[in-house]
Amino acid sequence: MAVCDLLIIGAGAAGISAAVSAWNAGCRDILLVDRGEAPGGILPQCRHEGFGMASFGHELTGPEYAAHLIQQLSRTDVRFLPQTEVLSVSEDRKAIVSSRGTVDQIAFARLILAAGCREHQIGSLPVSGTRPAGIFTAGQAQEMINLRHQDLGDEILILGSGDLGMIMARRFTLEGKHVIAVLEQQAHYGGMARNYHRCIEAYQIPLRTGVTVSEIHGRGRISGVTIKNLETGTREYSACDTLVTALGLIPEQTLVQDIGERDWLYLAGNCRHVHDIADSASAEGILVGECAAAGLHLGA
Amino acid sequence: MMAGAESFDVAVIGGGLLGCFAARELCRWRLKTVLVETRGDVCTGISRANTAIVYPGYDHKPGTLKAEMTVRANAGFEQLCRELDVPFSRCGSMMLSFGEKADAVLRKKYLQGMENHVPGLRLISGEEAREHEATLNPDVRLALYSPTAGTVNPWQLGIAACENAIQNGVQLRLNTSVTGILADSGVYRLQTDRGELSARAVVNCAGLSADRVHALLFPSDIRIAPTAGDYLLLDRTAAKPSHILQYEPEEKGKGLTMVPTVGGSLLVGPSERENSLDYAASEDGLASVRTLAKKLIPELNLEDTIRSFAAVRPIPQYRDGRRINSFVIEHPASGFWSLIGIRTPGLTCARELGLHIAGQLAYELDAQSNPAFNPVRKGIPRVHELTFAQRKQFAAQLPDFGEIVCICEDVSKGEILEAIRRGAVTVDGVKRRVCTGMGRCQGARCQQKVLELLSRTLQIPEHAVTKDGRGSEILRERHGSL
Ligand SMILES: Cc1cc2nc3c(=O)[nH]c(=O)nc-3n(C[C@H](O)[C@H](O)[C@H](O)COP(=O)(O)OP(=O)(O)OC[C@H]3O[C@@H](n4cnc5c(N)ncnc54)[C@H](O)[C@@H]3O)c2cc1C
Ligand SMILES: Cc1cc2nc3c(=O)[nH]c(=O)nc-3n(C[C@H](O)[C@H](O)[C@H](O)COP(=O)(O)OP(=O)(O)OC[C@H]3O[C@@H](n4cnc5c(N)ncnc54)[C@H](O)[C@@H]3O)c2cc1C
Repeated sequence: MAVCDLLIIGAGAAGISAAVSAWNAGCRDILLVDRGEAPGGILPQCRHEGFGMASFGHELTGPEYAAHLIQQLSRTDVRFLPQTEVLSVSEDRKAIVSSRGTVDQIAFARLILAAGCREHQIGSLPVSGTRPAGIFTAGQAQEMINLRHQDLGDEILILGSGDLGMIMARRFTLEGKHVIAVLEQQAHYGGMARNYHRCIEAYQIPLRTGVTVSEIHGRGRISGVTIKNLETGTREYSACDTLVTALGLIPEQTLVQDIGERDWLYLAGNCRHVHDIADSASAEGILVGECAAAGLHLGA
Repeated sequence: MMAGAESFDVAVIGGGLLGCFAARELCRWRLKTVLVETRGDVCTGISRANTAIVYPGYDHKPGTLKAEMTVRANAGFEQLCRELDVPFSRCGSMMLSFGEKADAVLRKKYLQGMENHVPGLRLISGEEAREHEATLNPDVRLALYSPTAGTVNPWQLGIAACENAIQNGVQLRLNTSVTGILADSGVYRLQTDRGELSARAVVNCAGLSADRVHALLFPSDIRIAPTAGDYLLLDRTAAKPSHILQYEPEEKGKGLTMVPTVGGSLLVGPSERENSLDYAASEDGLASVRTLAKKLIPELNLEDTIRSFAAVRPIPQYRDGRRINSFVIEHPASGFWSLIGIRTPGLTCARELGLHIAGQLAYELDAQSNPAFNPVRKGIPRVHELTFAQRKQFAAQLPDFGEIVCICEDVSKGEILEAIRRGAVTVDGVKRRVCTGMGRCQGARCQQKVLELLSRTLQIPEHAVTKDGRGSEILRERHGSL
């Protein structure tokens, strides 16, 4: 069984920042665990610019922002355990971790959960029709295109106009794909104005508000959807070969959902609440790292 | 090709639950059996989408084959699942009444169940029902409690039977469609899109196409009129009942069932819809499932829904439209058996039906019993079900079993590779064997990893990997290079 003072689960912007700040605050026995190969969390797949204005004073891409954080981390002796899945956390302050060839327990005094978030997926919506291939969540599509260099389809519909939806609309366009439209149920796009101007307006991608997808068509692969106007109730068919869903993010708190609040448990970053910008996830990480190092409790 | 037509003692057509079990039970005799399936994997039809209940046997008229088989099958389910190494949960069920009409139905089923010798049946008050399930609607006034009802993962059961059949010598022919059958001096010649097979006997288990396969050789008055139904699947974290709950409606066609599945999720449905051929969920159907679910358990949080889907029932009827309630087992000639429109409780009775047909065929073919038959099949080890110490040891010996690929359902790379080794060729094929992508993110985080493992292991390009067979490719071929 491994032992540490401070265990940090998740090496994204929040987890790395927390590790660095806890180290700077004097905590010398920190273990940072992530399922990924390298630290960075969601950042490496965000190849676009728009990161770090607050922290570094100029705009960086996701990977560049991650590189800055990793540099800070390299100045500490925080132990980083990559490619390791945390399976569970128990009330007696032990975590079970699993990695290639090894399943082990880690006993800790304090825990920072910085596990990020997961995406809503279309299965949770009352959408009728078939369940074919060719439906991806926006984050999944982003990972597949940017990190795995895969080609998902040619005629793209995007459901949801949050930041992720708009960023992916641009990504597909830059990949040479035809984004038929971004569909939004509200009367207004969901994400930041900056992303609307840079991703939707600048590329003249049609944004349709007040509509949703009510039905999916296609047998093997998706062949189209029914778009429903939420005000008038009218429906129309739109062909597509790919549907990308950007339906919002859910803080990933599964590991501690049965534990509740504890004075040794801290949450930081997107797993505490969803942060629009990485700077804010980092800032929270810094604060939480300091508190955890000092043994102060932060409250919910 | 004609000259080389391979010959068998028995050809089983259709690799659903029924075909897989028929093939497995035939192994109890010395018979050379082939199992022929149109698609690239077994259990992708009706056997993939159903309510997953192992019924106790009070639903059927005393003395019928259905009643008799269901009660017997239910009693033997632990042993069957032990042999085949699939999880089975004898969670018990409650059939619930909100009114007079339903009260009467419950009383009738109770008496029927007593006559059928269903163990442990009790009619209980709404109050007592709520002692079993605290979250039940307070308007529930009567319940039929049945401790022997249970649930199993239907496709895992079918796949296990198929693996066991193969282990005992059955040959599996995937991607092979039977398109014609000829009777030719004591043998049946099966035309397929991959050449001809001949067999002394045929078992037709073609599911939704069983009427058409039967008609390839024999006239029949019976056809299948499919109707669809819709289901919701709720996340494992949903506050869920611990029993199967069945809502007996006051109004016909407005019933609903909730099943706490062996995988931990809650299955809710099905709605009743007429004449639909399609595995396409309907808006109205899903809406009615949601309404009824809230009626059964008012505090159920439907935001915990992670998936909705449709199933298709193979309802057998006569040409004139009269529906048939019993299991239709057609035997128009020696050595030819057709199971037509086997719906509920076909999962419960799959093994009994298989054994029934196998026994009849063994007699017709004058086959000797097979002393080498081994009913035991080992499942794929599930790391999630191991204790910490076991898991630690396991990962140390087989490193792939430490590498977690599906986060929601806690599935390792080792399990996935084993699923592929055992015949999974698609993302859904892996899912059916080891539950990848079954959880709350529905594969958003693991589909691409499973895809890569399939591509690498089967040595096919990534763009050739499908979700569930030809036409369901997940990626486009990358033009240009990287
Ligand atoms: C598509 C997209 C575009 C964005 N664009 C911008 C932008 O332009 N500008 C901007 O400022 N911000 C942007 N953001 C927001 C910002 O990137 C995030 O808010 C921030 O990076 C989140 O950091 P985090 O550390 O909370 O989470 P994450 O980066 O998600 O890190 C969580 C880490 O925890 C790991 N983990 C979780 N559970 C476990 C477990 N059980 N075991 C092991 N490891 C685990 C995960 O693998 C992951 O590495 C964007 C976000 C997204 C998703
Ligand atoms: C909505 C619903 C709910 C149900 N709930 C329950 C329940 O809770 N409990 C219970 O006990 N039972 C239940 N059942 C019944 C049970 O699911 C079925 O009886 C059982 O799955 C039938 O299996 P099958 O093998 O006949 O069909 P399938 O699984 O459809 O298999 C038939 C196979 O034949 C193949 N095939 C077709 N034509 C050809 C051809 N020409 N050549 C080669 N192959 C061919 C198909 O590709 C398919 O794989 C339910 C059924 C439905 C529809």
